[in-house]
Amino acid sequence: MAEIRLKNVSKRWHNFVGVDNFDLDIADREFLVLLGPSGCGKTTTMRMIAGLDDISEGEIWLGDRMVNNLEPKDRDISMVFQSYGLYPNMTVYENIRFPLRVRKVPKELHHEKVMQAARMVELVDFLERRPAALSGGQRQRVALGRAIVRQPAAFLMDEPLSNLDAKLRVSTRAQIKNLQHTLKVTTIYVTHDQIEAMTLADRVVVMNKGVIQQVGTPTDIYDNPANTFVASFIGSPAMNLVSGDIENGTFRGPGITIGGLQINVKGPVTLGFRAEDASLVFEGGELGAEIYSMELLGEATMASFRMGDQLVSIKSGKEYRAEIGDVVHAAIPASICHLFDARTGVRIARTPGN
Amino acid sequence: MIVNKRRRPLPLTVLSTTFVLLWVLMAAFPFIWTVWGSFKVEQDFFSRDSWWFAIEGSRTIAQTGSAFTGDGYYGAWVLRDFFSSVVNTVIVTLSVVVVSLTFGTLGGYALARSGYRYTFWLLMLALVFRAMPHITLVSGYLLPFFEMNIWGHLPTAIIVLVAINQPFTLWMLHSFFLSIPKDLDESAMVDGCSRFQAFRLVVIPVMWPGVITTGLFSFLLAYNDFAVTAMLLSQPNQTMVPKIASFLGTIQQEGNVMFAVAAVVSATAPLFVLVMFFQRQIVSGLTAGAVKG
Repeated sequence: MAEIRLKNVSKRWHNFVGVDNFDLDIADREFLVLLGPSGCGKTTTMRMIAGLDDISEGEIWLGDRMVNNLEPKDRDISMVFQSYGLYPNMTVYENIRFPLRVRKVPKELHHEKVMQAARMVELVDFLERRPAALSGGQRQRVALGRAIVRQPAAFLMDEPLSNLDAKLRVSTRAQIKNLQHTLKVTTIYVTHDQIEAMTLADRVVVMNKGVIQQVGTPTDIYDNPANTFVASFIGSPAMNLVSGDIENGTFRGPGITIGGLQINVKGPVTLGFRAEDASLVFEGGELGAEIYSMELLGEATMASFRMGDQLVSIKSGKEYRAEIGDVVHAAIPASICHLFDARTGVRIARTPGN
Repeated sequence: MIVNKRRRPLPLTVLSTTFVLLWVLMAAFPFIWTVWGSFKVEQDFFSRDSWWFAIEGSRTIAQTGSAFTGDGYYGAWVLRDFFSSVVNTVIVTLSVVVVSLTFGTLGGYALARSGYRYTFWLLMLALVFRAMPHITLVSGYLLPFFEMNIWGHLPTAIIVLVAINQPFTLWMLHSFFLSIPKDLDESAMVDGCSRFQAFRLVVIPVMWPGVITTGLFSFLLAYNDFAVTAMLLSQPNQTMVPKIASFLGTIQQEGNVMFAVAAVVSATAPLFVLVMFFQRQIVSGLTAGAVKG
């Protein structure tokens, strides 16, 4: 039970900056997800919190203790590794019991705690097996069980679902969410999968190249991306981004004209909108172009257009059908549009009255 | 009976079986010949007239009254005190194995987990020392050992043998440790182990095949060594191999060849037992080396 504070934490290897000036307070019992493409520094940040990597600069506080110089064992955290890190020579029971054993928890409590953890991760029938005789999902649950067998100050999870198949991933995801809700322990979860981030997180930290891009609730980062990186990373499909020019509140790009935008912005901008916010119409609309590709998603149909060198996708109802090459129109009202600075990619805020 | 559908053609089977049998015979013959001959007298086994004497043993019968004699063993073990060199060998090999493995596991683990570049150069240096002929180390050490008055003692030979063996054990254990995923020690450390506890409780238990294989190679090096033990040990402290050599005699001293033959057989027998006993670990250590998670 602890809040975690990272004060201007940086990690450098010679000239390479792994994490740059990471500054964040994580509340007690919060489920925080670090999200970003591979190599963005999210795992390094977590490893610094765990004590597995040294901190080049800054301070990490767990509760009221500054833990910069503490060994991992003294930080009172538990961690789930991407490759599980199970002990192959021990049975499932012994694997889950191991943290209790090395932390000198009184022996008479062991059995009860192990069984409790095993029940939570549904492994009671497999306690006598070795990790080699388990499936990937079961191994993952052993790693989870080992993490929850004692009450640590925080859980750290490093892409725990990435080695599971798609179906198992969904059910284990739900299980993790439920476990965190039951145990009420601060959790930091690293992933590159934005769906995991959206479904699990109380708050999401989007990172790129070692720098925090945006911190916010899943709705926040989905509805109001702070820059083009977040916009293009979150959502499936990602937000459509079209570059063009704006003048007097009218945006003009290749094959696309949208009026009624902010009138105080002028010059080259990047315009973004979500595929599901726009709609296909028979005539009129802000966009008219040939269909580049049609994708049937089951619950919807996705039409893509080629605008200049960008691909723009628009979602439509599942009954919608059109052929590649048909010219169709799309309604993209100004209310669904986001404007970003063409050069820096930073969001241009909509000021009241404009 | 089940008939194997994909039978190999008969000539090929015959040819390959013959080849394997021939090869086994050629490889095993010197040893079998030595075991057989060790129960004969010298005039039979080393007869210049005909090797047939060694098989018939006619002079053995003439001298001892039986086709087989234990005279060679009696001479080596009782008259020339081969037993004390067996004890010396046990002390030397055990010490070398224990010391090499202790430093080798600790050092190999440190090198495997270290992120610094100098580990590569340390390993390269180790390789250079490994490649050097053993005698170079011995000749350099001889004079200082005389001056420090530690020449001839078992610990001296043990130190030199460890020095020769250590680079190899480091290399071998280093690569075994590399095959064990880092996540294993890291999860142990997060679970509450210190670095050394993680090493002892988590890493070493999955390293047994590697430790046993490396230990066996260290054992063989110490057991078979001649250069170091012959040069650095005094007569009463000799291990088996230089002792056998002394049975063969020198220019100054007449030896007894049959003692040597009997001693050779005595020295080889434990190796068979050892390899058979550890063969599963050795094979799994040599081929896989890795630990499946």
